[in-house]
Amino acid sequence: MASVTLKNIYKIYEDGFTAVNDLSLDIGDKEFIVLVGPSGCGKSTTLRMIAGLEEISKGELYIGDRKVNSVAPKDRNIAMVFQSYALYPNKTVYKNMSFGLELHKVPKDEIRRRVTEAAKVLDIEHLLERRPKALSGGQRQRVALGRAMVRNPDVFLLDEPLSNLDAKLRTAMRTEITRLHQKLGTTFIYVTHDQTEAMTMGDRIVVMKDGVVQQVDTPQNLYNRPVNTFVAGFIGSPQMNFIDGCIIEENEAVTLLVGGDHIPFAGSPESVAPYIGKKVTVGIRPEDIDDSEYFISQHSRSVLSGTVEVKELMGSEVFLYINCLGNKITARVGPETQAKADAEIKFAVDESKIHLFDKESGIRIM
Amino acid sequence: MAKSAKKAALYIILIAVALAFLFPVFIVLMNSFKNKLYISAEPFTFPDSESFAGLENYTVGLEKTGFFSAFGWSLFITLASVLVIVLFSAMTAWYITRVKSKITSAMYYAFVFSMIVPFQMVMFSMSKLANILRLDNPLGIVVIYLGFGAGLSVFMFCGFIKSIPLEIEEAAMIDGCGSIRTFFLVVLPILKPTAITVAILNTMWIWNDYLLPYLVIGSDYKTIPIAIQYLKGGYGSVDMGAMMAMLVLAIIPIIVFYLSSQKYIIKGVVAGAVKG
Repeated sequence: MASVTLKNIYKIYEDGFTAVNDLSLDIGDKEFIVLVGPSGCGKSTTLRMIAGLEEISKGELYIGDRKVNSVAPKDRNIAMVFQSYALYPNKTVYKNMSFGLELHKVPKDEIRRRVTEAAKVLDIEHLLERRPKALSGGQRQRVALGRAMVRNPDVFLLDEPLSNLDAKLRTAMRTEITRLHQKLGTTFIYVTHDQTEAMTMGDRIVVMKDGVVQQVDTPQNLYNRPVNTFVAGFIGSPQMNFIDGCIIEENEAVTLLVGGDHIPFAGSPESVAPYIGKKVTVGIRPEDIDDSEYFISQHSRSVLSGTVEVKELMGSEVFLYINCLGNKITARVGPETQAKADAEIKFAVDESKIHLFDKESGIRIM
Repeated sequence: MAKSAKKAALYIILIAVALAFLFPVFIVLMNSFKNKLYISAEPFTFPDSESFAGLENYTVGLEKTGFFSAFGWSLFITLASVLVIVLFSAMTAWYITRVKSKITSAMYYAFVFSMIVPFQMVMFSMSKLANILRLDNPLGIVVIYLGFGAGLSVFMFCGFIKSIPLEIEEAAMIDGCGSIRTFFLVVLPILKPTAITVAILNTMWIWNDYLLPYLVIGSDYKTIPIAIQYLKGGYGSVDMGAMMAMLVLAIIPIIVFYLSSQKYIIKGVVAGAVKG
């Protein structure tokens, strides 16, 4: 068990491409941290640098108190679970799990004890004599986790371990990995492009884009107070609606002008003082928009209208894709909605949940 | 109806082709039991009470050729050459595939190019060079076989290694392997199907090869094909009976070897060709 510290880490390839740009991060002991972002954002590269599989171009990496920039992967006391599981195809499950221990000259009895124990935890005891090709995707995943577990590593690195599984199995394994983290009490660094995995599993989430960390925060803070439009759009499904708006001051009251409609401003006027009269990006999460009579009556000053383009029934909820004066808005409403496709609709937004971003830089205003 | 007729026609053609290929082998086998005087006169007739020579051709052949010594040299040269070809080609292919640089890419094309250079084009300069470098002995010829066999072998290994996910090797590195252990404990076992194919193809080539050992080591260390060739006496006289018998003995090991390992050939060739 150990903390991991990244100080001004860069990864610059020979052709000059910067995959990771000035990344600094303190990962606490026993913390479950998730690196999330779109493809090519540098999250896997960061993980591979921590593993020692990629060279660090600039910066310092510490595992515990030890600087490990030039320490070989095998000497970092880490374990990694790969996206493709990377099991040794010619070895049995038992051998796959014991291989690392044999290389470290752990006594045979101890190897047997650890492998059996891990197999019991992961419920793969009956598979120990099989080869990887005779296993299902979920079973392979468990073996890969088992191989990492038996090493008793300081840090667990997981590189999109669930992306090859079907949706049902992914949900089940998600819970299992979270439970495993609680049981082992080891530092977990988990890479994914799936924001649901990030939100449900991580103690903290690192959102990355183009090699740059956008925000490091708890899932709740990330959702409620995204620092910019990228984080706001990336976290949450369906994603946050972004509408062009303008902050105006009328009769000493600050309001938002969205399309032709005025929406009262719920925050303190001082916080947006520099932006009065300027264009801003208004962010509203789909669940903060509703067309129910009760909701409209509660937010009667923030009522907008538009045309429902598509209505998607999801079972417990309905997604409405609304065209509001050229702005495309997604609303997540209850199944009792009366809205119909191609029909006009009145809906309200919860003005207290509105996010405002600088139109140019995308940085959060409030 | 049309389908079954087509199938029948196909079978007939295949059987005819198989017979055409097996016929010479059968003729050799049949004549090896005939008295040498009858072989040239009646090569296609079955041995009868007059022409049947029993195992005489075999005993004479074994005696005249020094077959057991030749068998020993053939076995040593074949085994040693195949071993070094498999080992070094696999290592080279692994390096070429995993380390991407202009040099490795040039090396790859050099290996591929070496496959299309006919042996006859280089044989004289090569035998002269082998002489100068003192490679004209059973150990030296192993080095020469490595040179001639590496092209195809590296090419085949490269095809297969490309299909092995790099993550497996990275997992081995994290598990505690350095480069050498990664190769021997992880990569080489995965390469087994291709290694077997490479071994079989090279075994058949080296075991049957006549020209290279003839040019390089000549009569000092006779391999089986060379030993058999010495059954030709002066003034064009040939002991056909002993020659037929020795040819049978020469091809038996390689046929047994091929039949026992042919399933790996298909597996290995296909593995390199279609994976990844």
